[in-house]
Order: sequence, then structure tokens, then C-alpha cells
Amino acid sequence: MTRLLDVENLTLQFDTDEGRITAVDDVSFTLEAGEVMGLVGESGSGKSVTAKSIMKLNPSNAVYSDQTKITLHLDDGPVEIMGLQTSKELQVVRGGAISMIFQEPMASFAPAITIGDQMVEQLMIHTDMNAKRSKEVSIEMLDRVGISDAGTRFKQYAFELSGGMRQRAMIAMALSTKPKLLIADEPTTALDVTIQAQVIDLMKDLVKDFGMGIVFITHDLGVIAQTADKVAVMYLGRLIEQGAVRDVIRNPSHPYTKGLIAALPSLDDLDTPLTPIPGDIPSPLERPAGCVFNTRCSVNMGEICHAKVPQFSAVTQGHNVACHLFNGEGAK
Amino acid sequence: MLQFSKFVAVRAALAILTLVLVSFIVFTLMEMVPGDCAERYVAFKNSQGSVITPEDIQIERVRLGLDQPYIQRWGSWIFNAFQGEFGDSCILRVNIAQLLGQKFWLSLGLCLSALLLAYAIAIPVGILAATSKNAVLNNSLRLVSYLGLALPNFLLALMIMLFSTVMFGNSLTGLFSKEFRDAAWSYDRFMDFLGHAWLPIFILGWSATAFAIQTVRALMSDEIGKLYVTAAAARGVSGRRLLMRYPARHALSPIINSLGFDLNRIFNELPIVALILTLTEAGSLLIEALARSNDQQLAGAIIFMLTASIVGINFITDVILALTDPRIRRSIVG
Ligand SMILES: Nc1ncnc2c1ncn2[C@@H]1O[C@H](COP(=O)(O)OP(=O)(O)OP(=O)(O)O)[C@@H](O)[C@H]1O
Ligand code: SF4
Ligand SMILES: [Mg+2]
Repeated sequence: MTRLLDVENLTLQFDTDEGRITAVDDVSFTLEAGEVMGLVGESGSGKSVTAKSIMKLNPSNAVYSDQTKITLHLDDGPVEIMGLQTSKELQVVRGGAISMIFQEPMASFAPAITIGDQMVEQLMIHTDMNAKRSKEVSIEMLDRVGISDAGTRFKQYAFELSGGMRQRAMIAMALSTKPKLLIADEPTTALDVTIQAQVIDLMKDLVKDFGMGIVFITHDLGVIAQTADKVAVMYLGRLIEQGAVRDVIRNPSHPYTKGLIAALPSLDDLDTPLTPIPGDIPSPLERPAGCVFNTRCSVNMGEICHAKVPQFSAVTQGHNVACHLFNGEGAK
Repeated sequence: MLQFSKFVAVRAALAILTLVLVSFIVFTLMEMVPGDCAERYVAFKNSQGSVITPEDIQIERVRLGLDQPYIQRWGSWIFNAFQGEFGDSCILRVNIAQLLGQKFWLSLGLCLSALLLAYAIAIPVGILAATSKNAVLNNSLRLVSYLGLALPNFLLALMIMLFSTVMFGNSLTGLFSKEFRDAAWSYDRFMDFLGHAWLPIFILGWSATAFAIQTVRALMSDEIGKLYVTAAAARGVSGRRLLMRYPARHALSPIINSLGFDLNRIFNELPIVALILTLTEAGSLLIEALARSNDQQLAGAIIFMLTASIVGINFITDVILALTDPRIRRSIVG
């Protein structure tokens, strides 16, 4: 396996009218080429801003810590993403070696520009293809993602396509520049279940064919179980558990992950009531001291959970959890 | 293309229907003014010293066709109105089309120039305001547009007049210098006109600009926050290209949409500004006709022409929108 992405100590704050809020706190993970990593967590846990950090795409009120280091390993050497400044430099991580798909396929196409024009524009920015060649490649891509009559669709606007078709077109556009890394931010949430399954199958196929790495963001552990190789669970800006999908889903260790899994409906046993995690995720303005999950944790061990931030410790090889239950001092 | 012609035809038909309805209302209002044109003229004559009998009034009525049934008179009024023919003024006894013709076009020209001025300034400034993070720039823009909205046009007109009277001994009023007032159009007259017209255009454009800046800025900020802009940035589109092709391009439709409304506002401001600057434009003639001489023929004609201009502008912006906005275009072209 070859390393594709290193995210080290990503800490991201936003300057807001209420003051500086912490959206991501000391997050580190890695991704190999051809690997799919699921990033899960409730709404507001910081998944999207983490993903955007990889493209340095957060708005101008974003402040990254000095320790933050994001490295993209390309064939011609590593790229330090935090060091990219000009729009020219940033192009490599914006639509070049990294592409992003968003949750709302309708809203992510410009309404008054044809699908084709937006695809051609991206190709012309990132490759040395001329307009004619870009058009051919775009139509091939649309065809490749299963859009029938691609030549006609190329000339259409997003509002003229169905939801599933739009997300396919979005995927076609994202992959047209042959990126090494695809970031998919809840790409199927806005679609209905059958279409969702089709799009996920399509993505799985494409990963194989293109051999790229994927960061797949969702709040649906079920989707992760189907698509990802490994998973990272995020809560209030911190990673709290990560490991191979199997390990984490079979043997969830953090009380929060346990709660997420208990909240999944199970088809074998429809009588057991679903047990969602009680309470709401706190506002980033009121981040709890100590363990960020302590306001909702049913295990909460008092003093230590409120005073000390739990560090990662291994449950099994490659399966890590940040909870005092598993740290030397707190472990029973 | 065929579909598009159909769209234009339907919109044109709707515009004409609106005008017919308006004309009906205008005509009915004219009827409701106590007394008719014949009586009014006769009364006017009497006040000038001539003695006129009820028979004379009756003869005058027949001559003006006032003895015909209401519907028939409405029919012929509107039929003529669509050809720009409004009959004679009740009091002044001159052909209204001749009386109004040039004044009307001058008024329309003033308003359209003010509108043009407003957006020529507002579009770049609004875009800048929506994108710039410069606090000084933003605050001074806020102050200017606050002043623009808060300072009534007539006050501004008075201030400028007062200022120029004191400073230059010239009140800058009117649209023409004396020697050109009744002259035929010529290069010199046109230049003279421009020399005078900038002031009413500036005054009319003043609050329109402030208003338009706010509109453009709000629409731009709205568009900039949208996901498709982030998505385009994520594809590597950047700088001026990102700004112009994405949010600015997409803010255009609602801006075009607001043009008819803005022109309407400017029209409403015209009479009072004209009164102060003693411009003989159509708006002040309207006030004169309504308030003083009760000249229903003249008032009706002016109201009709004003409405026709607004309806016309709305028709034009509809067609432009259909051409520029694919969502509308596709809904009509299929
Ligand atoms: N530009 C910004 N300025 C200030 N705060 C921001 C900004 N962008 C995001 N945040 C805050 O950062 C936190 C994380 O947001 P993020 O969008 O990453 O959540 P998420 O995990 O993707 O949630 P969801 O599942 O709803 O998409 C939220 O509290 C959000 O309000
Ligand atoms: S550290 Fe404490 S509060 Fe946090 S999850 Fe573990 S037990 Fe719960
Ligand atoms: Mg999100």
C-alpha cells in the first residue's frame, strides 16, 4: 500500500461574532491509495469542515493552528496543503488531484450554466485538453457513470435532471480530471433509498477502476458498513474512535460509537426499541472540558472525564479509541 | 425559436390586456369626475367673459361625441389611445398628442437615464461591497447609501438649486435655456438639453442608486453564500472568473426582475422633482391637469402613457429574462 494522505494535528477555529469557536480539535488520520475511509458523526461534529480543510476550502474566517499539517503524496512528490497560497497553487488540491462531491447535487451545480460547460471548464483548468477534447471526455465520463443519452445531458442544466442523475453527473465531473483522492460529503443523503444504493454501487465500481482514495462522509453507519475499509468517528470536532470497519462495527468501544450502533435499526430484531443517544451535541461555543462527550455519556466516570482529555489507546491492533475507560488510569 | 416567439406573443398579449384593463379604469375614473368636457370648456369660456347657453353646451357635447353610450366612447378612446391619439385637451383645446408628445418622451428619457445611471453605478459597487472585506470601504458605502435612502429627492433638488443660485447665480432649472426652449431639435439644442438634463437625472438617480446598490449587494451576498460557488471553487475555478461567472452571473436575473419596479419608483419621484426644477415634463402636467384645471382628457392620456411605459418595461425585462435565464427559457422553449 502506498500512503496517499496524512492529516496531522488538524485544528481549525472560526472567528465568529460570538468569538473564536473550535470546529476541529487535533484530528489526525491517514489514507492509503485505493482505500475508502468513512468519516461519521452527528450533525455539527465537524465532518464537512475537516473535509474542506483538505482542499483549504473553508471560508476566510477559518484559522488553522500552526501544528496543522496535511500532506498529499503524489507521484511527483508530497504536497504540503497548508502551505499552498495562490489560487494557482491551490488548483492541485481543488479539482486537480482532489475532487469533492457535495450532499446536494442540485445546489452544487450552478443553475444557469449547463452541466457540460461546468465539466469542460474544470477540464480546461486542470488539463491541457482543448475545448473539443474536453467535451468528448466529459461526454464519455457522463456515459461511464451510467447516464443515458450523455450527449444531450451534456447540454442540459441541473434542474432538467432527476436527483439520482444529477449526483451521477456530479460524480462524473469530479472524476473527469482523474483525481487521486475523492471527498464525498454525504453524497447520497439527499437521494431516496434505491437511488442511494445505485450511487453507492457506482462509487464502489469507480474506486476499483480508478484506484483512488476516498473520504466518505456520512452520518449513516449502515452506508459505511457497505462502502468503507476503515472508519473514523467524530464528535464535536474530535476523533473519538477509528479502525477497520469490521472491528469498529463489531466491537464498538467508545460509548458514543456504541450509541450510534445501538441506534441503527436491525432487520433481524424489529422488536427491540431503537436507543438513540440521549441529549444533543453541545454548541461549539460550549465545548465541555475534559472528554467532549461527557455531557451525554452514560458511563461518565466523573472527575477524570471532566478534567482530562482522553488520548487514543489501542483496543486491538489498528483499532483505537479515545476514552478514559481504555486509558491506563481510567481502565477498570 | 417558434416556442420563443409564442412566449413573446403571449407576453405581449398579456401586456396589451393589462393596458386595456388599465384604460378601462382610467376611462371610468375620467367619467366619474363631475361634469364633462363640454361643461368644463363652457365654464372656462364663461369665466373668460363669453356668455354661453345650454344649447351651446349640447352642441359641444354632440361635437365631442359625448352623447354616445359609455361603452362605445370607451371603445373609441382606447382604440385611439393605442395609436397614440388622445383627442383634444378639455381646457387648452389643443391636440393632446402634440401637447404631450415631446414632453412625454423627455420624461421617459429622464427616468430611463436615471435608471441606467443607478445600475451603472450599483452593479460594480454592489458587487464590490458584497465581496470586499475592507471595513472602511464597507462603512463608507453604508453611509452613502443610508444618505441616499434617507435624503428625499426634493430636498436634494432644493439644496442643489439653492447652492448653485448662491454660488453661480444660476438656479440650474428647466430643461432648456431660454433661446432653445421652443426651437427645433438641433445639435446645439441637444447639447443645451444635456447641459440641463444631468441635474434632474442625477437627482432622480440619487436615491435610485442607493436603492439599487442595496439590491445588488444583497443579491450578490446571497449568491456568494450558495453551495454552487463553493463547489466551483472546489473544482479550481478562482478569482475574477469565479466571481463573474458564478455569483454575479446568477444575481443578474433578479436584478433584471427588479428594473420595472425601480422605474416605477423613479416615475413616482419625477413630478415633485420636476416641480422644483420647473421642468415642463409630463408628470408636472399631470399634477396640473388633475389638481388645478380638472382636465380629464389630459389626465387620462398621461396616466395611460405612464402605465404603458411601465407595462412596456416589464414586457421587455420579461423577454430579456427569458433570453438570459435558462430556467425560464427552458420552461418556454421546452
Ligand atoms: N464558516 C464557519 N464559520 C463559523 N462556524 C462554522 C463555519 N463552518 C462551520 N462552522 C461550524 O463548525 C461546526 C462543524 O460544522 P460541519 O459543517 O463540519 O458539521 P458536519 O459534521 O459536517 O455536520 P452535518 O452533518 O450537519 O453536515 C458547526 O458547529 C458549524 O456551525
Ligand atoms: S472519557 Fe469518560 S465521558 Fe468520555 S466517553 Fe469515556 S467514559 Fe464517557
Ligand atoms: Mg456536513
